[in-house]
Amino acid sequence: MNREDLIQKWLDNNLNANELEAFKQLEDYDALMKLSNGLAEFKAPEYNTSEELDIVLSKLDTENSTKSINFFKPLMRIAAVLVICFSAYYYTTTLDTKINTDIAQKTSVFLPDQSEVQLNAESSMTYNENDWDEERSLLLEGEAFFKVAKGETFSVNTSAGIVSVLGTEFNVRQRNNIFEVICYEGLVAVTYDNEKTKLYPGDTFLIVNGKRIVNEKENNQQPTWITNESSFRSIPFSEVIAELERQYDVSVAFDQSLIDAELLFTGRFTHNNLDIALKSITLPLNLGYQKTDNSIILTRG
Amino acid sequence: MPKDLHNNICDKSLFEAFFKKHAKDLHDFLYYKFGADLNPKDKVQDAFIKLWQNCGKVPPNKAKSFLFTTANNLMLNEVAHQKVVLRHQKSQPKSITHESPEYALREKEFKQKLDTAIANLTEAQRVAFLLNRVEGKRFKEIAEILNISTKAVEKRIYGALKKLREDIEGL
Repeated sequence: MNREDLIQKWLDNNLNANELEAFKQLEDYDALMKLSNGLAEFKAPEYNTSEELDIVLSKLDTENSTKSINFFKPLMRIAAVLVICFSAYYYTTTLDTKINTDIAQKTSVFLPDQSEVQLNAESSMTYNENDWDEERSLLLEGEAFFKVAKGETFSVNTSAGIVSVLGTEFNVRQRNNIFEVICYEGLVAVTYDNEKTKLYPGDTFLIVNGKRIVNEKENNQQPTWITNESSFRSIPFSEVIAELERQYDVSVAFDQSLIDAELLFTGRFTHNNLDIALKSITLPLNLGYQKTDNSIILTRG
Repeated sequence: MPKDLHNNICDKSLFEAFFKKHAKDLHDFLYYKFGADLNPKDKVQDAFIKLWQNCGKVPPNKAKSFLFTTANNLMLNEVAHQKVVLRHQKSQPKSITHESPEYALREKEFKQKLDTAIANLTEAQRVAFLLNRVEGKRFKEIAEILNISTKAVEKRIYGALKKLREDIEGL
């Protein structure tokens, strides 16, 4: 075994007894030993493993507690976002739904229980979609035709009175000083001035200027305005004019001293042709009219 | 195929066992590589804390190399350019008193030469050589610590010894 191999083996602490003897015979044995011993002073400071482990573990414990705070913070952020989302959702879903129609516009709305409402021109209806299952109740201004699905009491609140039903078809008209309910199917209860009136199919409930007006039975299956025709039974002439203005977006003027606005009118006019409509309401009363653009003046004779 | 029972060392007892196994080696490695001035003990602590924080992401067979790499980087971050100073253990006052003044002088001279020679070694040589000579580690153990082959360790240590002897004789 040569010198280099012996030194290598010595370095690796891997000498057997024979080799050790041979190594000791090397001429530079003393120098190597001296060098090796001199190095002892470079020894790394004592490292107390268990002591150091305790330090690390205690550091980890404090780390853990701060970690839990760090973990808490983003959780709070998520919670805050959720709260905002939820409240926005809650706010928008509990808002009342309002449906409006303008002049010369009609619309049809299905309520959450599949009841159908047709809104006539310049009317509005407000209801709450969320509470609908608990309370079928809505607020109406103007005129609407209802096809109510069977179920709990369905009420239509108007400024004049309340109409409540179970499942039926009926028309409500509440304009100015007129409150008219016509029942087409089922049974309708009308509360007016704390007095309840029951309407059977074909029955009409009409109040004009606070006075009840009794009409004969209605034979139609649905109000005529659904098919673009306004019909009137004992309705003041001023309201007929108002309805015409609603359906055509025109302004109608007449001399109140010559024409009686309170005259009760029975008849109908179409929504599709202004000239025919005007003739329909003027001829029976022996009136004439002048038309310029959107303004109409009614004349006598 | 043997399946690892633990796919991380997040368990405290596993972590403790791992610490006991590697902490001293890591400390010595850092000490010989970077010297005493950069607080190798602190770096060992920091590296183990980092390992614990990432315990979920580090599989056990990668944990040792994660640990050593982390500690090494911590050291490098602290002072990349600082000159390495190995602080001499305060040598015990010699109990032998019959040394001749000449002998004492020669000893002192030798120590100075050794100091200079060690400082002149390359970093790789110094770490391997001191782990071997001072800590009494075998080539195979050093190879594991440094994550290199046994042959490379052999080369570094023998190279270091040769260079030291040349330097000391030349001075």
